[in-house]
Amino acid sequence: MSKGVLYDANKCIGCRACQVACKQWNEMPAETTTNTGSCENPPKVSAYTLTKIRFNELEHDGKFHWVFTKIQCMHCEHPACAEACLVGAFQKTPEGAVVYDDNKCIGCRYCMVACPFGIPCYQWDDPMPWVRKCSFCADRQSAGLKPACVTTCPTGALKYGERDDLIDEAHQRIAANRDKYVDHVYGEHEVGGTSWLYLSPVPFEKLGMPVVGQEAVTVNVERAMGAVPPVLVGVAAIMSGVYWLVKRRQQPGGEGAPNDKEQVEVPK
Amino acid sequence: MTNHWIDLRNADCIMIIGSNAAENHPISFKWVTEAMDKGAKLISVDPRFTRTSSKADIYAPMRSGTDIAFIGGMINYILNDMENNPGNYNMEYVTQYTNAACIVNPNFKFTDGLFGEVENGKYNTASKGTWKYANTATPATDTTLKDPDCVFQLMKKHYSRYDADTVCDITGTPKDVYLEVCQTYAASGRTGKAGTIMYAMGTTQHTYGTQNVRSYAVLQLLLGNMGVAGGGINALRGTSNVQGSTDMCLLAHILPGYLNVPMEGDTDLDTYILRTGKHAGATITPQGLAGDVSSNWWGNSRKYVVSLLKAWYGDAATADNDFGFHNLPKCDPSVNYTHIGMIEAMGRGIVKGLWVWGQNPASGGPNSNGARTALGNLDWLVTADIWMTETSEFWKRPGVDPADIGTEVFVLPAACSYEKEGSISNSGRWAQWRYKAVEPLGDAMADLEIMSILMSKIQELYQADASAPGRQAIIDLEWDYGHVTADMIAREINGYDLTTGKLAVSFGALKDDGTTSSGNWLYCNMYTEEDGNKAARRNPADMHPGKIGLHSEWSWCWPLNRRIIYNRASVDLDGNPWDSEHPVILDYDSVTKWKGDIPDGGWAPINQAAEGAKYLPFIMKPEGVARLWGYGRTDGPLPEVYEPWESPLDRNLMSDAKNNPCAFVGTYMNDRGTPERFPYVGTTYRCSEHWQTGVMTRSLPWLVELMPDMYVEIGEDLAVEKGISNGDTIIVSSARGEIQAVAMVTRRLQPLQVDGKAIHHVGVLNHWGYSGMATGDSANILTPHVGDANTTIPEFKTFLCNVRRA
Amino acid sequence: MIINKRSIPVGTIILTVVVLLGLVAMILRYVYGLGATTNMSDGRAWGLWISFDLYCGVALAAGGFTLAGIVYIFGREKYHAVARPAILTAFLGYTLVILALLVDLGQPWYIWRFLFNWNIHSPLFEVSLCVMLYTIVLALEFSPAVFERLSSLDYPLIRRFNWRIPLRVIRSIQIPLVIAGIVLSTLHQSSLGSMLLMMPETLHPLWYTPILPILFLFSAIAVGPAMVMFESALSSRVFGHKLSIDVMSGLGKATAYVLGLYLLLKIVDLLARGDLALVATAYPHNLLWWGEIIIGVILPIIFFSMSSIRRNRTMLFWSAVLVVLGLVFNRFNVSMLALEIRPGFTYVPHWMEFAISAALVADAMLVIFLAHRLLPMHEEEAAVESG
Ligand SMILES: Nc1nc2c(c(=O)[nH]1)N[C@H]1C(S)=C(S)[C@@H](COP(=O)(O)OP(=O)(O)OC[C@H]3O[C@@H](n4cnc5c(=O)[nH]c(N)nc54)[C@H](O)[C@@H]3O)O[C@H]1N2
Ligand SMILES: Nc1nc2c(c(=O)[nH]1)N[C@H]1C(S)=C(S)[C@@H](COP(=O)(O)OP(=O)(O)OC[C@H]3O[C@@H](n4cnc5c(=O)[nH]c(N)nc54)[C@H](O)[C@@H]3O)O[C@H]1N2
Ligand code: SF4
Ligand code: SF4
Ligand code: SF4
Ligand code: SF4
Ligand code: SF4
Ligand SMILES: [Mo]
Repeated sequence: MSKGVLYDANKCIGCRACQVACKQWNEMPAETTTNTGSCENPPKVSAYTLTKIRFNELEHDGKFHWVFTKIQCMHCEHPACAEACLVGAFQKTPEGAVVYDDNKCIGCRYCMVACPFGIPCYQWDDPMPWVRKCSFCADRQSAGLKPACVTTCPTGALKYGERDDLIDEAHQRIAANRDKYVDHVYGEHEVGGTSWLYLSPVPFEKLGMPVVGQEAVTVNVERAMGAVPPVLVGVAAIMSGVYWLVKRRQQPGGEGAPNDKEQVEVPK
Repeated sequence: MTNHWIDLRNADCIMIIGSNAAENHPISFKWVTEAMDKGAKLISVDPRFTRTSSKADIYAPMRSGTDIAFIGGMINYILNDMENNPGNYNMEYVTQYTNAACIVNPNFKFTDGLFGEVENGKYNTASKGTWKYANTATPATDTTLKDPDCVFQLMKKHYSRYDADTVCDITGTPKDVYLEVCQTYAASGRTGKAGTIMYAMGTTQHTYGTQNVRSYAVLQLLLGNMGVAGGGINALRGTSNVQGSTDMCLLAHILPGYLNVPMEGDTDLDTYILRTGKHAGATITPQGLAGDVSSNWWGNSRKYVVSLLKAWYGDAATADNDFGFHNLPKCDPSVNYTHIGMIEAMGRGIVKGLWVWGQNPASGGPNSNGARTALGNLDWLVTADIWMTETSEFWKRPGVDPADIGTEVFVLPAACSYEKEGSISNSGRWAQWRYKAVEPLGDAMADLEIMSILMSKIQELYQADASAPGRQAIIDLEWDYGHVTADMIAREINGYDLTTGKLAVSFGALKDDGTTSSGNWLYCNMYTEEDGNKAARRNPADMHPGKIGLHSEWSWCWPLNRRIIYNRASVDLDGNPWDSEHPVILDYDSVTKWKGDIPDGGWAPINQAAEGAKYLPFIMKPEGVARLWGYGRTDGPLPEVYEPWESPLDRNLMSDAKNNPCAFVGTYMNDRGTPERFPYVGTTYRCSEHWQTGVMTRSLPWLVELMPDMYVEIGEDLAVEKGISNGDTIIVSSARGEIQAVAMVTRRLQPLQVDGKAIHHVGVLNHWGYSGMATGDSANILTPHVGDANTTIPEFKTFLCNVRRA
Repeated sequence: MIINKRSIPVGTIILTVVVLLGLVAMILRYVYGLGATTNMSDGRAWGLWISFDLYCGVALAAGGFTLAGIVYIFGREKYHAVARPAILTAFLGYTLVILALLVDLGQPWYIWRFLFNWNIHSPLFEVSLCVMLYTIVLALEFSPAVFERLSSLDYPLIRRFNWRIPLRVIRSIQIPLVIAGIVLSTLHQSSLGSMLLMMPETLHPLWYTPILPILFLFSAIAVGPAMVMFESALSSRVFGHKLSIDVMSGLGKATAYVLGLYLLLKIVDLLARGDLALVATAYPHNLLWWGEIIIGVILPIIFFSMSSIRRNRTMLFWSAVLVVLGLVFNRFNVSMLALEIRPGFTYVPHWMEFAISAALVADAMLVIFLAHRLLPMHEEEAAVESG
């Protein structure tokens, strides 16, 4: 059993206490921002802003909606970041969190490119940069605490618990209130499932959540990497074989033989 | 709040009007969300689509300043529906627990928007006399509610003018949405259902703010929603401990515990008590109701005043000297002592020195240009604050040469909330004790300590100067704290039995013979010998038999730890809860008395009590029933529609009385705008991310990151009209001044159809100023120096303005 | 050795200037960090350096293993003449890849960590290991040229050592080395494609396919000979060392076959995935796709299969150029242009990114110049000279 968080956009009031709590727990500096005509700031998650609330003003079913969306690492069941990282700096823990280790990372940023949700961020302004993303507050969890954002959330829009239970509860909430929720628990199946789950009153693409398939993004990589040992052995064997054959054929005929053949072809 | 935060979860319908609770009281949404999980409907009424509206089942836009029309139409809808479908309402509650059945003076006249004759901004005494009951001591009632002079019929007549079409023409609310609101909210009137109203500054900051609140009260009483779990009218209080500060008299018209302030002419204690009407002789007992006696709790006020004087003057207060009543300053009835009045007096050079304690008048009050100029007229200014503020730095504000300002400014560094111990009273009236977490930085001191040192010094100086004016009043004060602690003050507020020296057990034990003291009768019982400091209790269990979320051993709440006030109205005449699922008090029997919450008087249910002891439920009213008909206000017994002081309309669509005739209108640097020059409705408000004048948040990087700049919200149509794009810098102007801000162009503000024309709102954030880390223009440069007829709360919420690209 | 004397100063000076400029940019990069010196961002975490220096660099250096294979394994001695330059180019190519990575990595000083923290599931880990090993292999493969030269030098100090010994050692393991090179190249050339398999959601479906590794391998094999043709043509212009038209056209023909196979794979793959219609509908991505296919595949197949062109040095050269350009186009598509950028971000490389990439290429060219001047680039020559 692994932990998860259920984020219910129907219960989120966009107060952004979670955003500040995350900064506080993780001792992250404030970013310099400007108001560009939106309540939203900082504009994006970054190495110094591991979570943020997106404000979406949209039309759905002929009705105006203002829906908030919390963005942070999804803690994939099959994390691309962890599969990608050559040094294994990212690890999916059995408890659900995908955690990162400064002591392994070399800064290649493959994890950032690989993540289907665009989550890991980089300390671009630092000559000695590290990758940063939401850690699911693994440190707090291991001390028996809930993630900082969950603890702070005033409305219960964030609920922490066993992932399986949360999925059940999410479906119950939908069933109990069909006209308030779209019938979709985002993260239940997305990219093979994620530890963080979402409920929403409008289709998720309208919230800017990536439209992703149900298959883990790591499947094809795993297949390809599985082929490495046979390819290694196979290619080595074939090349040795070819060499041996060619050598044997060349022995009596001498060096010129194959060349002659080609020279015949050229003038055609 | 008549109820409390957790109780919101018991509501079947929640109407948030005049409040943006999701943003300004985020934690309230813990309970709103819980109620909604159980099927409650949420209605949001606001000129803007806010974060609160985003969670609502129904969002009804309205023009700022038109709450009375909006609610009046609902009242009209309900009064009509009551006659057609009485089964949908709790008619027993309406007839027995409110003054609906009471017969009013037949000379009462309402003509063209006025409740009588107005002279110098006041209704004359003769007119006010007609607002009262026909029989002022023992009013007759007609429980069939048919008598044309009974309150119910007078209201029917009054609100018949508030038909949905007229109302929507005033408020700009789409009619279908409006009717949906009426229907949905009226459903909470069914016996056993509860609806609650959450309101705050959107309601009160108007020249008729008090009547706005009254209109909610009328609505709630008609629906039987007062005193019940999940009901009530719930003022979401503002700045931290503002509830405590009003309880403790941080307003110009009251003494601690909502005792009246003495006025010139209150020559002695008895005269004073008589004038305030808070005495046993003022009891009014309606005739013909099932309940036959009013407890008129305020009849006890002399005990509370005397105990207060004992707390203040100690041994110097004796029966012979009227307990030192002569020491109290007396107010001049012609002077307005409120914030606006004070600034005007400063502007005119009448007030020469100012203490500013945890406040920022240079941008918090209305008409900042006026207020800032007025500060320059002072000889001296002292601020006690945890930051440098626009007020303490007013003399070097942009555009001003410090050399031109003669005011001498002192800044006293104060300890912040984590650096001191004490109680904070929340909106639910819960006094919650907090401990000191860290030592104050630098020279900072707890406000209490600053005050105590200061007072000792002042007494010393007065002691030394025999000719000092008012000397006796100062040296008579009992000020022997030594090193003062919050605990000492808490005990003093609770009060003592002076004969035993023990803490007083409750205000029931306070006497008017000088043998008890109490700094605030309402808080008497918070600190007892038996239980110690009950504000410090931290038992989270809910002991209520109905599990309605009372948590009565968590902190302590006034009065007497009663969590839902007027809870005797939550049961029928036989004492059975209207709502058996969410009973507040229940299971009365003559031995064990009531179970559940502390009842508003432990008497038997009306039908079980003996003749002459059937106590009416609304104990704080002399008539024992709640007032649909509120004759005690200065501006009329019923809420009536007026336009704001600055209105986009050239007339009142209801009558010829355009503005509240009793509103306070300032005259110091207070120009009035016209719709020709300033065509748009300006309104000011808050956002989650900042606090008030911003002093406390604009220097916190994490909050500045969230909301870095002063911004103004405008609708898309207005933006197109004005060639403004989202994110542009714009200038908003009013007759008082102009400000610069970032334009936030949004669909959340829609033009409203009012009197045949489109009305645009301009939403101005209230958190910026020139001090601190993130700076910007203050909203209050735009707002006028006008105030409510009853309280003088400034009309921050509606004024006229114009916008243009910078 | 024949040296075009006139070209030395002008070319070298230009190259040296480019190298120095890049050096400055590189210093700035280390002092101020990637944020200040590149336009990469959280949205585009891999920029010009990965697309050009790594993705194109590795593929363009494929000539090393293809030619080594053709000559040493398949015994096509005719191509012996280009083998050594191809290996040198490959070696330099890989050195540059490594240098570029040292610039691109956020924590280059920790690059050794990957030797101690293996994530064998990561294609990048495999690429890294292979690139490291293959660079060593290439160094060894090329080392005979150095030893030959050293043994021919007449400096007393150098003469004290018998350079024939290492030469002999290397020659004795030449075939295993070549086979190792082919294995390592097969693995990492394809794994560069596997790396992109992680991006099914962000790499456009015109490119994303489970057979990406195979396509990568084939395109690398195809560009290898083309690159050799291109380089030899260039170096012949500079050093006057003309390749026989016969070798050139042979390489061209081989390229055409491999490209044909590659094209077939691509089409069949799109068909199999049901995404063929995208080549017409997925505007604007389809333009990128057609661009790389027409330039790098269709035109070269046509040209290389025309015997008239195969007999024309200039045309052969330009056809090879097309293959190279097509490959570059392809690698930019998969690693940048057709890879979704995070919403709200844009990316145009900073001038310092260009400067560093250019400096690395210039660096390589300088080394090649030097090599051509100082080292025996063709075994026959070496034999003659040393003989
Ligand atoms: N984050 C945060 N929280 C706060 C504060 C803060 O500064 N920041 N301040 C605290 C204080 S002191 C207070 S008093 C409370 C105030 O709490 P609120 O009253 O909720 O605060 P406002 O945002 O001023 O106004 C509420 C709403 O009234 C609407 N409104 C404007 N005109 C009208 C009208 O005529 N009728 C109606 N019905 N609505 C209207 C506005 O659009 C606004 O959304 O908040 C407290 N909480
Ligand atoms: N336009 C417009 N104006 C408004 C309103 C509006 O809605 N619109 N709302 C009005 C309302 S409801 C309110 S309550 C007022 C608020 O107006 P103010 O009270 O003037 O505003 P604050 O910014 O809350 O100022 C409080 C000050 O107390 C200081 N402080 C905090 N803690 C302590 C402490 O422990 N000790 C001491 N000594 N100081 C402390 C803070 O640093 C700050 O300077 O604004 C009013 N002004
Ligand atoms: S969301 Fe991205 S960063 Fe987070 S676990 Fe999944 S792949 Fe890794
Ligand atoms: S940047 Fe660090 S964590 Fe990310 S893939 Fe590279 S080494 Fe691993
Ligand atoms: S789980 Fe922790 S790290 Fe992640 S968003 Fe919440 S507070 Fe931040
Ligand atoms: S703290 Fe909770 S309610 Fe507030 S923005 Fe975050 S998730 Fe939403
Ligand atoms: S008082 Fe503090 S914790 Fe409570 S709702 Fe307001 S901001 Fe939140
Ligand atoms: Mo307030």
